[in-house]
Parts: sequence; C-alpha cells; structure tokens
Amino acid sequence: MSEGMRVEPDLNFIKYLKSAGGDSVKKCFQCATCSVVCPLSSDGNPFPRKEMIWAQWGLKERLAGDVNVLLCHQCGDCTAYCPRGAKPGDVLGAIRAYAYTHYGFPQGLAKMCSSGKNFPLLLGIPMVLIGLLWFLSGGMHVPSVEIFKEAGFGHFFGEGKVLGGLLTKNVAFIDLIFLPAFAFAAFASFKGATAMWNKMSTSVNANQDYRPSAKQFVTEFLLPSMVETLQHKRFNECGTNQNRVKGHLPLVLAFIGLFIVTNYAFIVKDIIGYFVEGLHGPIAMGNPIKILANISAIAMIVGVGILWANRSNTEESQGSSPTFYDWFLIGVIMAVGITGLGAELIRLLGIPSFAYFFYYMHLVSIFMLFFYMPYTKFAHMVYRTVAMAFERYRESGFVIKAD
Amino acid sequence: MDKKYGAYICTGCGIGDALNIDGLAGVVTGEMKMDCKTHEALCSVAGREMIQIDINAGVNTIVVGACSPRVMQDEFDFGEDKITIRANLREQVVWCRGENPDDEYVQELASDYLRMGCTQAKKTELATPYQLETISKKILVMGGGIAGMTAAIEAANAGYEVTLVEKTDKLGGKALGWRKQFPSKAPWADLESPVVGDMVKAVTGNAKVTVKTETEVARVAGAPGDYLVTFKAAGAKSEWDAPAKVAVDEQDKIDKGQLPDPNDGLQGYMKENPDGEKFGSVVLATGWVPADVSEYEHLNVAHDKVVTNAQFEKLAKEGKVPARVAFIQSPGGDEHDKDFPYCNSVTSMVALKQAKYVREDNSDGKAYILYQHMRTPGNMELFYKATQNDEGIFMTKASVTGVAEQGGALVVSAKDTLLNEDITIEVDMVVLAAGMVPTTKSAPSVNLAYRQGPGFLDLDLFDGYADSHFICFPYETRRTGVYTCGGVRKAMPMDEVLDDATGAALKAIQCIESADRGVAVHPRSGDTTYPEFFFQRCTQCKRCTEECPFGALDDDEKGTPKPNPTRCRRCGTCMGACPERIIGFKNYNVDMIGSMIKAIEVPDDDEDKLRFLVLVCENDAYPAIDMTGIRRKGINNLVRFIPVRCLGSVNMVWIKDALSSGMDGVLLLGCKYGDDYQCHFVKGSEIADKRMANIGETLGSLGLEPERCAMQQVAITDYDKVPDIIQEFVDQIVEMGPNPFKGF
Repeated sequence: MSEGMRVEPDLNFIKYLKSAGGDSVKKCFQCATCSVVCPLSSDGNPFPRKEMIWAQWGLKERLAGDVNVLLCHQCGDCTAYCPRGAKPGDVLGAIRAYAYTHYGFPQGLAKMCSSGKNFPLLLGIPMVLIGLLWFLSGGMHVPSVEIFKEAGFGHFFGEGKVLGGLLTKNVAFIDLIFLPAFAFAAFASFKGATAMWNKMSTSVNANQDYRPSAKQFVTEFLLPSMVETLQHKRFNECGTNQNRVKGHLPLVLAFIGLFIVTNYAFIVKDIIGYFVEGLHGPIAMGNPIKILANISAIAMIVGVGILWANRSNTEESQGSSPTFYDWFLIGVIMAVGITGLGAELIRLLGIPSFAYFFYYMHLVSIFMLFFYMPYTKFAHMVYRTVAMAFERYRESGFVIKAD
Repeated sequence: MDKKYGAYICTGCGIGDALNIDGLAGVVTGEMKMDCKTHEALCSVAGREMIQIDINAGVNTIVVGACSPRVMQDEFDFGEDKITIRANLREQVVWCRGENPDDEYVQELASDYLRMGCTQAKKTELATPYQLETISKKILVMGGGIAGMTAAIEAANAGYEVTLVEKTDKLGGKALGWRKQFPSKAPWADLESPVVGDMVKAVTGNAKVTVKTETEVARVAGAPGDYLVTFKAAGAKSEWDAPAKVAVDEQDKIDKGQLPDPNDGLQGYMKENPDGEKFGSVVLATGWVPADVSEYEHLNVAHDKVVTNAQFEKLAKEGKVPARVAFIQSPGGDEHDKDFPYCNSVTSMVALKQAKYVREDNSDGKAYILYQHMRTPGNMELFYKATQNDEGIFMTKASVTGVAEQGGALVVSAKDTLLNEDITIEVDMVVLAAGMVPTTKSAPSVNLAYRQGPGFLDLDLFDGYADSHFICFPYETRRTGVYTCGGVRKAMPMDEVLDDATGAALKAIQCIESADRGVAVHPRSGDTTYPEFFFQRCTQCKRCTEECPFGALDDDEKGTPKPNPTRCRRCGTCMGACPERIIGFKNYNVDMIGSMIKAIEVPDDDEDKLRFLVLVCENDAYPAIDMTGIRRKGINNLVRFIPVRCLGSVNMVWIKDALSSGMDGVLLLGCKYGDDYQCHFVKGSEIADKRMANIGETLGSLGLEPERCAMQQVAITDYDKVPDIIQEFVDQIVEMGPNPFKGF
C-alpha cells in the first residue's frame, strides 16, 4: 500500500508561477504537441510535457532540479504550436525565475530580486550607496568645463591619491564599490550553481569511483559549453523566435568587448597608470580600445533594443504576460548602455553637470546589473552554462547509464 | 371502390434504350388486361398530364413502370383517393443489369416487374383510417423531477392538459439536493444556483397541469388516445396494480396449483377500472437512483470518509466540505480502463462541480480528480477548462490501485498517471463517481396492464434502459405512446434533460394527434392502414400476441386477440406469424404478395432460366439495392425483388407459393438483428430468421434442399455487397439444379 511518489502540491508555488508569467500553466491538457516540436525533447524524456504537469501539480522540487528547464532557451516553438494556449515557453521562463530565486544566496536578497514590488529598493540601494560614497569622497560637485575636458570623469570621486599614493582617489572608490560587488556576485553564483549541480546530480547515477577533476570539469564540460553558447548554435535551431539571435549575439559580443575594455582600463589605468602619469584621463578616441568600447556600447544598445522589440512582439502576438523577470534585465542593460554612451557623448559636448548625472546613473545601473545578477534573469549566464556543462557530464562516462 | 386501371411505362433514364417497350406494353395489355401508355419522361409535367387526363376520364388505379418507388413520390402522387403502384424498372432492372447483359433476360425481368405491379394494383384496396370511439388528449407525466416538470410545462404550453404524478411529497426530484448546478450560459465557467425552485413554481402555477404528489400509477391500461390509468397512494398496494406476465406453461402450472399465482388478488389486464382516468399518452420520467459501488473493496468503500458523489453533494449542501478531497472517476484496480457503471458524461461534470466546492469552502483547498475518461460534451468543455485553470484543482488520468487509512487521513494510490509514475495522495475524503441507474432496471416503472407484461422488453440489451432503437429513434420505447426522458432514458446533465423532456413531450403530442387521425405514429408515420383480423377463422394459437414486438395485441380469456390499433406500428409481424393467414392490411396482405409471386413467369423447360424470389425489407435492404443500381453495379437478372414492410411480416406461405410455382430459391434480405440490431421493428428480422429455420426443416421433409430458402442480414450501407450476396445464393442453387417441382 501507498507505494509511489507522495504528491503534495504547493499552492503558493503555482500562484508564484502564475504571477511570474506562467499564468497559463493550468491550461495544459497533456497532448504533448510541445514535446513533438521541442528540439530538447527525446523519446524517454517528453520535454516540456512532463514539466508542465509537474508545474500544474506544484511539484517545485522536481522542477528546480530539472536540467532541461535551464537548457530551454525559449525558442517559443512550444508556445506557438500549443493548441490549448498553455504557453509552455512562458511557464518554463517562470520556472527558471523561480529556480534562480530557489538557488539564490543569500535567500533574502534572492527573494527581494524576484518581485517588481521591490524595484524601488533594488534601485534605491545602489543609488544611496554610490551617492553616499560620492558625497563622502568629496567629489560631489560639478567641475569646470576645462577641468572636465582634461580629466573627464577622473575626478568624479575627487582628486588626489589615497592609500599612501597607491591609487588615485577615483579608482580607489570605484574599486571599493565594484570589486566587492563583483566578488559577492561571483561567490553567490558559485553557491547557487553548486547547489543546482548537486540537485541535478541526484537525478543521475554518478560514478562514485571515478569523478572528474577540476581541470576535466573545465576542459570537458564547461569550456565546450561556453563555446557552444558563443556560437549560438541552439538559438539557430529555433523555429519561432529565430530573430532572437540578431539581438542576443551582438549583446553577448558587446559584453565580451566591454569586458576587454574594462580589463584594459583596469590594467592600464589602475596598474600601469600607477607608474606612468597621464594615463588617467579619457582614452583618446582613436585608440583601438576606445573604438572597441564604442562599437561594443552601440552593439549593446542595438542588441538589447532588438530583444526589447522581440519581447514586446511576443507579448502582443502570443499573449505572453509582461514579467518583472524579463523586463528588469532588458531595462537594466538598456540603462547601462544608454547612460554609458550618454555620459561619453555629453562629455564630448562638454556639459559637466549632465555628464556627471549620467555617469552616476551609469555606475548605479552597472551595480544593479552585476550585483543582482545571481538572482535575476541575468543569472542564466551562470545557470544555463552550468546546465549545459551538466548535460555533457550526464552523457559522459562519469555517469552510469540506466540501461 | 370500382377500379379503373391505367398502366404507364416511362422510357426515360435509359429504360427505353435497354428494353423493348412495345413488348412490355404487350405484356400489360395482353396478360394483365390493362390499358398501357408510354412517355419519354413520365415524371415531367407533360408525362403527368398524360396520366391526369386519364384520371379525369375515370382511371383511379395507376401502375407506373419507371423509377424506384423511393423517388419521385410527390410527382406520382395523384391523391389519397387514388391507388398508385410503382414497378421499379430503372434502379432494379435497367441500372443494375450489369455489363454485357443478355437482352432477353433483362426483358423478362422487366416483364415480371410489370406483371407483379399490375397484380399488386388489382389486390390493393384504399384504406380508411382506424378511428377511436373517444379520444383523450390528456398527457400523463410520471415523475416530478426536472425531466417530468419540463415535459409537463412544455406539453401544457402546447395546449395539452397534463397530470404530473410524483411519488414523494414534493416536486423537484434529485435537483432538490443540489448545492449548485452546472453553468448554463456563456462563459460556461461559473456554477449557478439551482433553478429547480422556479420550475416547481412554474408547474404548480400552470392551470393546465394537475400535480398529484405522494401518488403512484398502479396501472396504465388501454392504448394511445385511450389509456385508462389507475392512481394509488405512494407505496400502497392496490387490486389495480399492473399484473405480471404469465407465460402459457406457467399458467398451466398455476391452474394445477403447482405454482403460486403472482397476480393473486389483482384485476386481470383486460379488466377496466370504472374509477380510472383517461389519458392520451404517457411521458415516463421516473429518473434514476445512484449506482451501487460497494463491490469495489480496494477503494475502502466501507470507510465513512469514502463517499459517493451523491453523498458528497448532500454534505456540500449542508455545510463545509473538507480541504483535501480525491474524486475517483474510475474504479481502477483490475478493471483498469472501465468507469463506474452508468456514468456517461455526468459524473465527469459532477466531479468538476464538486471540486469547485472544495475550493469555495477552503482557501487552501486541494481537489484531485483521478479519471480514465473526462467527458465534457458541448459547451461543458469550457466548464472543464475553467475548472482546470483553478490552481487548487489537480487532474490526471490514473488507474487507482487503492485507498487506505493512514494516520487519520486517507491515502489514495494510483498508477499509470500523467505524471509518469505511481503516486500517492493524502486526502481527508474520497468521492466515488457513482453513475445513474435508470428506475426501469429494477422495476417495471411504467406499470402497463398489457398481455406482454407491465414493463419494457429486452432490458438486458441496454443495461436496464428501455430498448429504444437508440440511434434512429431515440425517444421510442417498445411501447407506442410511452416516451421516456431524463435519467430514466440516459444518464444526462440538466441542460440535456431540458431538451430531452421537451422532445418527449412533443412525441407524446404527436402520438395523440396521430391516434386522433387514425394513422401510425412511428416509424411508418402517417400510414392509414392497420392490421385487420378475420376472427371467424382464428384458432387462438396466440402467435400474433406473443410475437408482436410492441405488445399491441391483448387477448381475451379464450386467447382471441384483441387488437389495439393505436399501439400498432404496422410492421405486419402478426401477419407473418398467423398460420391461418387471417391478418392483413388493405394494401399489404398475404393474398396480395402471394398473387404477385404467382404472377412471375417461370419457364418450366429452360434449365438456364432459373427464377429466384428475394423478399426485401423496404427499410434498409431495398434502398441498398436501389443504391447498387444507382452505382450501376450488376445484379443477377434471374432474381425478382419484392419489398416487404419488415421481414417479420413475411408469411411462410409465400415461400411455399414461390417453390410450388416452380421458382428455384427464396432469399430474405433484412436488417441486422441481435445486440446491435438495426431492425426498424426491433424483432422482425430475428423472428424471420427463426421461421426460416423451421421452414427449412419442412422443405427437407418434402425432399427439397433446405438451402433453397435462406436469410441474409444487410445494412443500408451494404449496397456494394448486395450483388455478391445474391450471386452466391444463385450459384449455390444452380449447382443443386432446378426446382424438381417445376412444371407441376
């Protein structure tokens, strides 16, 4: 008697899904059309049909450990073909939003990032934090046009050096804000990804005698996944939302470009600049790095703009509900691009007051993008990559196959 | 009527090309002694004018040799006071003569059809409708639930007096116990407050409806238009209770004192109660009882938290329902895919409704619906969708394996679920989807004082539902004038009941009006003929009274049949049964068909020109043969078809007539019989099959091969099979050789 899985639906979980874009979840009547069109689905693993009924029945533990949910890149075929309007693609998005919160560390922060109600707080924290440091730095005044022209934003957090002349005051403050923020986000991502990996591992029979080394993990699972991501191979398999590549690819390349620029700036200005005077001002427009930065900034705005338009179209044509989860990321990236490029343009125009405001907002939006990354849609960068690595791991010799 | 004949042959539609028309006309004028004219399109205005001129000159009996009698009926209708006989030269001669036919054979075939047509014309009389001396146009409705009340209101609104009989002390029936009812309007998503109270008010406030509560019908005697109904107090015994059927051999034992008389103290079925009340027709809406589910022990049915849907509705009406409830729609276990008995679609919708109660009464309510089949017809699909959308209602196809108590709660286990694994669910209550058992299953319900017994026949065929030829004639029962509706006819939800009861009320009205005009109600609607008996020669053999599929014949103590023409459906099964051949219709009788058979010319010296008679049911087999012709498929032209009202009307003397006139074989083509019978008169083809088996034995004793007589079942869609069925029969007899009695 009483054999089999004890089913205890979590009503709050279902309510959450409904509020987070999965309002159609209960409509599914298990016809499996989605599984027929989905490129991720296989004979023994009817995805996302079974995920739909798990969601209907509020089985959150199952869904949180389901690698396919994270591998889904929302191509939209299932939603387009669903005869019942159950929009599996949107439901899976809501499940992912739930998963990022579920694995988020610390939980309080993760929960805070899961709801649009908290947006004032999410915006307020970096505004106050950066504003306060700006005030404390003594740099909170509009510079003269001449000084601005010469130093750019180099005196944003004041002039002079600190820490016994090790760093300029400006760099010190920026590092003070962002290095801990990046470090915290990286640590939180690591915690979340580890928890997810462990959860997903319970669904496979790992070979206990023979486990991958860290190097093997990186070379065999992680790197190939990252390469695959970069190639946008899976996006290209998509039917319905084919044009998302046009937005996502420039965006990814923009992030890579800006990553290079930021690192260049970090090395050149903060490290080499320590020895060589004169490297602290804005980089000359002709500098290849500057060209890369500007191209990347434009690519970012264009890319996210395309995704913005796609999202709006989807909501209009397929009736998807607008969610905080989707729009927060689109909005923040757009803000980063607009404020960054705006600050630069206004600097070139030579209007310090506006430029300083844009720069301030640029710092705030960057902070929001990265500090909240592990809990918002941006977390897909981590979780999906890990899930893809897990997919490779699952198919590897480190896992004993059922048959 | 002084008959003046006129025969007309059409040469259109290929008839004139295939046949020697002058030769045919010669047969009519020479052998049949009738004037004969031809026309290139008899059905055209000019063609009909030609006939009409003759009619104006005195012709009143017309033989039309043209297309099938199934077509051009309005064109060849020359009025009720004229007799028109059709000889089917088109579909069953010219169109089905096949490729490369022998013209001589085809000509002989057509000649025989004209001989038969002319003979039929000579033997046909004009009918006068049967008139009841007095007629009651009141309608009796039995059962005061939703169905009965609807039928009563609808009949009253159509202008008929209605008496509504209800066993309990108030109207309303099962609906009185409902907390909510299914949606009845867009968006078909929300449960509604029951409207039964309004219906009760409408019924009691209707001047044309007389309501008798706490009353039962002791017996319904008589016939449509002239029913004599005895009422009694509910639950009481009465000397006028309907008597049980006593078979002939049982009566022998009762007479010898070997068997107690089940009808002891009851008035005989022919006795008329002077205090009875007259009615014209009866609507039976006695409803249903919840099915017994106690046999499903693996579902822990004895547990007080395992209830039926009917019990759950009562709980829900009285108060709050528990927060976690499992609705089990199918017993599962070994039965697997089966549903609970008598469920239809209703139990699916009841589960959806009751799941809503769980959600209404509990903010954290969880309702689980475990089904094998979810049936939500029509707009109820929208109700299903709306219910499914509730986050606290969980549905899965599942085979329930058990219900067990565990720590004060119930644990339901199920396999083969949509979740792709075996599951267990902890709940506070389990609700089983018991179906709706018709009252006719356990009791006669209608309580007829008929010779064939108080209830409906062959109830086993449809699990206790009154046999009704469900697909073609859903409202008909085996008793003309009695129309079932609501739960007693089918497990159905309320919206369906409203339509159903309205339909039954209209049928009841149609029956009364048909009785008033003296015509058949169904399926030969409007037929003015009826069986007439020549009682002087009746031997009281009781075959007609026993075999009538509709219990139309009662009998007196000696066993002489008492016809009730308004109960009759004019199938002629009595005519087929009668060994004395004393039953017949004005336009269809033993002598007429016998004469037609004898009119077929049988060459007695030609071994190639064998002759076969095929008696064809006119309801399905005859149209199938027409369709064979329409598709230009060839049928062996040694065969002569004669349509009959039903194979049940085939009197075995016709077989004798055919064989003694030298024909070589007789085939009967009729409807399928058995569990999924298609016979329009329910029993006709089955009875014919039995009679044919008997006649085969008789033939054997005469030294004739029994295989010369056969019966085949044909559906109306079997037009492609008919040629082969006939060819096979012909080949078999060709092999045997000609009828040895040929020429005697």
